[in-house]
Amino acid sequence: MSLIRLIILSLFIFTQAQADTIYNLIKIPNLEIYDIKTPNELRYLYAKQPFTIGVDNNINCYDSKRKDLDQKYEIIQKHLNKYDQNFLKKINLKYIVLCEDLSISKINTAGIPDNIMKTLILDIKFNKNYFERVIHHEVFHIINDSFKDIFDKKIWSSFNGKDFKYAECSTCTDKLGLDTYTNTKGFFSEYSKSTASEDMAEVFSHLMIGINLNNLDPILEKKIDFIKTNLLKIDQNFIL
Amino acid sequence: MIKKIKASRSEKIIFTFVIVLAIFSFGSFFLIKDKCLFVKNYDPQKINFSDKKNIAILNVTCGNVIIELYPDISPMAVKRFKELVRSEAYDNIAFHRVIKDTLVQAGDLEFGKKGNLDYGKIGTGKSGLGTINSEIDTPFSFEKGSVALVRTQKYNTEDSQFFIILRDEPLYETEYTPIGKVIYGLEALKKIKYLDKSQYVLRPDFINSIRMLD
Repeated sequence: MSLIRLIILSLFIFTQAQADTIYNLIKIPNLEIYDIKTPNELRYLYAKQPFTIGVDNNINCYDSKRKDLDQKYEIIQKHLNKYDQNFLKKINLKYIVLCEDLSISKINTAGIPDNIMKTLILDIKFNKNYFERVIHHEVFHIINDSFKDIFDKKIWSSFNGKDFKYAECSTCTDKLGLDTYTNTKGFFSEYSKSTASEDMAEVFSHLMIGINLNNLDPILEKKIDFIKTNLLKIDQNFIL
Repeated sequence: MIKKIKASRSEKIIFTFVIVLAIFSFGSFFLIKDKCLFVKNYDPQKINFSDKKNIAILNVTCGNVIIELYPDISPMAVKRFKELVRSEAYDNIAFHRVIKDTLVQAGDLEFGKKGNLDYGKIGTGKSGLGTINSEIDTPFSFEKGSVALVRTQKYNTEDSQFFIILRDEPLYETEYTPIGKVIYGLEALKKIKYLDKSQYVLRPDFINSIRMLD
């Protein structure tokens, strides 16, 4: 028995201090390079094994099959190529982490943006109906986090009717529907009604996927104008 | 009368084997102790350089490491590095962070000096010259042997610490400020002391000196 213990102990003792370059850069373990030779210099990484990060290890994501990765990468890259290198640098986005079944505190989510670490984690298995839109939705959170002063929540909230109030947080409400309203009334989706920043992200993402802008209500027109004007403050060349 | 007993053939083989083994063991003991045995030591005076003013000679335990500096890529960083080399500030400074076959890091002038090592703070020391801005916009391929300045999690915090990579690290491009590349003597860096369980080295190896060639 003691011999077995000795063998197991020696395995730990003689394990090398591993050099995980990606972990050193963005503090997420178990990642490998998927593609780094991209036109806008975004670096795509994927989970080779499940990983857990965050406060109290509350963020989890799992590795994917290569076939699924390849398939979703085409879509993700097509959409993220809409942002040029200069803009991405300004908003502090450099690393895209691809994994599946992404959750934060056991609540499934499409993406987790972190502008400090220049990273956006994307769940490649997120609902197909909204997948392309949520890529831009999550990018907006990076933009918003990098330019909080520009995207003033009070000004934004003033566009809504006086009786309307956002929830305290995006998960403090059951307004989670992502279907685009046919009759907008100031909001593109049910989820828009959750918080001001989610509302902004929904407006931005709808603009990025090229929604028909005819017959919008006056509130949404103001919101779109707000987003467009402020994006130009960040980058004069930004085209919506 | 004592009868002579001849050694059998198998006994002769075993005897020869034991002798050879003894010689090999004894020889190996002395050879293995010399970690620099198979490391070539380059003499910069015997090499022709096209741009002598940008050649730095880093002398470590196993010999000379010859670094070509790239002021066109990172003018401020190379200027800072040369300034510290010319003031001999890097002499006797520890390679405090070493990852086997991956990188060696040195240059903590405040807490990494021989005889005055502070293991609690090593890696956080400053030069006293202030920080400089990151220079990461010029394309640079972080191949094996690349030398770059260390920074904190934030950009524009480069000072005196530098690292040399022992393997290609493509993700370092646009992350770290490159200052040059090792053109001779990378093998000597692979012999710098490292620990199996930690990136930070107890009783580390030291830079003997760094000098500009001109």
